[in-house]
Amino acid sequence: MREGGAGYTCVGVVSPEDIRRRIEEAFPGAQVSVADATGAGDHFEVRVRAAAFAGRTLVEQHQLVYGALGTLMGRIHALALQTETLEEARG
Amino acid sequence: MSDVLTEIEQEIRDNKVVLYMKGTPAFPMCGFSAAAVKILKEVGVPFKAVDVLAEPEKREAIKQFSNWPTIPQLYVGGKFVGGSDILRELHARGEFAGLVK
Repeated sequence: MREGGAGYTCVGVVSPEDIRRRIEEAFPGAQVSVADATGAGDHFEVRVRAAAFAGRTLVEQHQLVYGALGTLMGRIHALALQTETLEEARG
Repeated sequence: MSDVLTEIEQEIRDNKVVLYMKGTPAFPMCGFSAAAVKILKEVGVPFKAVDVLAEPEKREAIKQFSNWPTIPQLYVGGKFVGGSDILRELHARGEFAGLVK
């Protein structure tokens, strides 16, 4: 796929929307923010607030998100991830 | 692959703090690995660093080992603690130093 105007070929570039959709499907009702850190579609900053994280360790919370992203992870160079339970988010 | 997994088991058993990273502590090859090294140095804890770029098989094996898709990965006392985001968060909360000492 060639992106118009970018001047280089992007093979299967991941969009922030792809990431958001996967996470929202996996965690209904979650608050999700996704930033493309470089604009190149390979470094993302993702924040997820989900009720599903309650009672889970940080490692488990991140594993849930990585699991939701599935095959997308293999196409992303870097993903900075921050997770919170919805209760923490309110506090 | 099983040989490499055995090697990983041994590394995290024989060393209290082990960081699987890209590059070396002196020359990290990725910003996330560099951030992890910086936190470990700030806390002042000795650690064994394993450069997964020098061992491609281990780079894949370590992802399976903890069901964790990214590098760096920190192990303390044989247990997986997390990647660079979790290290940063634990450090910001002031919980990290206690964990590794």
